[in-house]
Amino acid sequence: MDTAKSHQNWLLEMEAQSRSKQTSFINGISAKLRRPMVTEPPRHPYRGSPDFWNAYEWDEQERIDKFTENFQSVGGHVERLSSMDEVRSFIADKAKEMSAKYVIRQNQPELEALHLESELPEASISVWNTDPDQHWKARSAEADIGVVLVDHAAAYTSSMVVLSSKDKGRSVSLLPTVLIAIIPLDRLKTRMGEVMVHFDEGGRESLPAGIHFISGPSRSSDIENDLTIGVHGPGIVYAIIVG
Amino acid sequence: MSHAPGHSGGATVKARAELALNNEFLRKAVKFTTERLKNGKLKAMEDHGNWEEWRERGRQIRLHTIAHLDYYLNQFVDNARANGVHVHFADTAQDAVTISLAIAERKSAKSVVKSKSMVSEELHLNQALESIGVEAIETDLGEYIIQLAGEAPSHIIIPAIHKNRYQIADLLSEDAGEKLEADTKVLAGYVRRRLRAKFLEADIGMTGCNFAIAETGSMVLFENEGNARMVTTLPKTQITLMGMERIIPSWADLEVMATLLPRSATGQKLTMYMSGITGPRRSEDADGPDEMHIIIVDNGRSLQLGDPEFQELLNCIRCGACLNACPVYRHIGGHAYGGTYSGPIGAVLTPSLQKNIAEWDDIANASSLCGACYEACPVKIPLHEMLVYLRRRKVEAGHGNKVEGAGMMGFGALLSKSGRFKTVLKLGKLGQKFVARNGEIRLKVGPLKGWNTYRVTPSLPKKSFREQWGTMDAEIREGLKEMAPEMKQRMEQIVKDRTKGGGNGHGHS
Repeated sequence: MDTAKSHQNWLLEMEAQSRSKQTSFINGISAKLRRPMVTEPPRHPYRGSPDFWNAYEWDEQERIDKFTENFQSVGGHVERLSSMDEVRSFIADKAKEMSAKYVIRQNQPELEALHLESELPEASISVWNTDPDQHWKARSAEADIGVVLVDHAAAYTSSMVVLSSKDKGRSVSLLPTVLIAIIPLDRLKTRMGEVMVHFDEGGRESLPAGIHFISGPSRSSDIENDLTIGVHGPGIVYAIIVG
Repeated sequence: MSHAPGHSGGATVKARAELALNNEFLRKAVKFTTERLKNGKLKAMEDHGNWEEWRERGRQIRLHTIAHLDYYLNQFVDNARANGVHVHFADTAQDAVTISLAIAERKSAKSVVKSKSMVSEELHLNQALESIGVEAIETDLGEYIIQLAGEAPSHIIIPAIHKNRYQIADLLSEDAGEKLEADTKVLAGYVRRRLRAKFLEADIGMTGCNFAIAETGSMVLFENEGNARMVTTLPKTQITLMGMERIIPSWADLEVMATLLPRSATGQKLTMYMSGITGPRRSEDADGPDEMHIIIVDNGRSLQLGDPEFQELLNCIRCGACLNACPVYRHIGGHAYGGTYSGPIGAVLTPSLQKNIAEWDDIANASSLCGACYEACPVKIPLHEMLVYLRRRKVEAGHGNKVEGAGMMGFGALLSKSGRFKTVLKLGKLGQKFVARNGEIRLKVGPLKGWNTYRVTPSLPKKSFREQWGTMDAEIREGLKEMAPEMKQRMEQIVKDRTKGGGNGHGHS
């Protein structure tokens, strides 16, 4: 028996059920609202943030300062470096200081250019999704340090935004003990709305499977309100603003 | 075995609250935590500024979406399907359970790792999964703890608010099979290691859904620990349980919700993680689920649609700010409410979702109608008014309490003439001379018995609030309603006794 095929059939069956159910489900809502089903896009006069907020903007230095202040206040670390050469030395020094044995990085050209392999000959450095036979989630889980270059950042909430792709695993920013995230200065905006606007404009088809706003180390206050850092995700997070 | 949080025990809110009130630790912990969260929220509101404008914007977005829920839900479903998501509809909790179990069976799942989901609590899904031999593991630190204890969450944001670290150490030590020190770091470290293995081996990841974006078919999760990311990144199959009202139109609207939700919940500018998941992994991706299901759940929500008194309940973004603001919640804790949702939102939502107002009616009385919940609500749901509607419906349905009804009628008569109200106040002031000591009334008989068992009634001030301001506060009304008619009688009796030469009249203690 071909289980994959029978599973596909089952999914198709479920979808047929779902589509017929959708009609009664949504009709029920329209009936409760006491009007025919709305099929035209309704006018949405209050879409998004208030105008005063959309006009709010910090200059570059303010963005750096506020990002730093906010990120540190939630237990993260911020470095302000001027070039990728400095980034290379910083990562190498940190890795040595923490005796990192396993490092995993996203498969991004900017990270490739750091040549971490030659800086850290004694560590095992793997590059996300470069070998189809490798179990990449496990490689990330065992890693001491994950290195990513972020896609966007917003200073007001000290958020770094990472988008998933073939070359950018969600696991790399999540499973290692330490996360080192590089923010090119020109990607650091004031508000998260400046990032979200890309997702609205690009539309559904432009979106990756995973969009993650990371605003500090993993934390919990679930035990007696006592703050614990590093509950499931990385407990040590370096944000490096470069440029 | 975990107990199902529900009304089935037959106990009333009062009985459950008595249990809660007698638990000194719970009272302190709840008070401390809610204070902390409430103050955090106040500070975050002030830091951010223009809070009223943000609140109003949040309210407008929610009102608009719910008013066009059929359109936006259809749009969300179409887009989610286009993203490769398998969408299912569940009218009832049972339907949602059936679909979840069918998926688990198809996948021959041995274990399901779950991140926090209030909908899943509504469904009692863990018990259902266990009944077909699937291990269900809550992975939020607090949820993991209370799951080990076999209990239900007592706070929407901090579920294990009622446990101290020694109790937690005992639970986790039993789980670990070795003695763990009652140190937060040690305990959290154990859970991290333990659950890491569970995340990596689980067949299914299950999440709730904070918001669903109609225009792109994305579902959004807010969290601090990273477990929701684990659950949506590692297992091969993902199931998301989504209340049908979780919709917002766009990412632009998400910015407003992301501004309101974390600040209102914990006082944070943003939770450490906010994730937008748009479909299963793309074929070339090396992580994320192969297969993603979203189950859209009604389970009583549509009962509020088209009901002018309760439709705004669907605007709720589940932040818990009303719990932290509520003087009653702060005193009795979440378990006393007996349902999935506690605090002011639970007091209204539970009976509304269940449609059995009669059975749940007493929960609506667990409120002082002071309006703090409305003030705290980031989308301005008039919860205090809804509590009054509920009480009214209960009475209309013939489930009123006769004595209370009589009191209410008397109270109504009282209020209808301000002169009479003034007289009663004066009378109260006269009467309390016999029972008040140092500005407190500790009398545990007559109309004050219920109230004074756990607290002390302050004596009426020399100059009443009403005399000072010419207006009435809802809490004062509530208090007077309880005292007025019988109190008056008592007082008259005491005065009569006294004229007979009955000594100093201080025979009560």
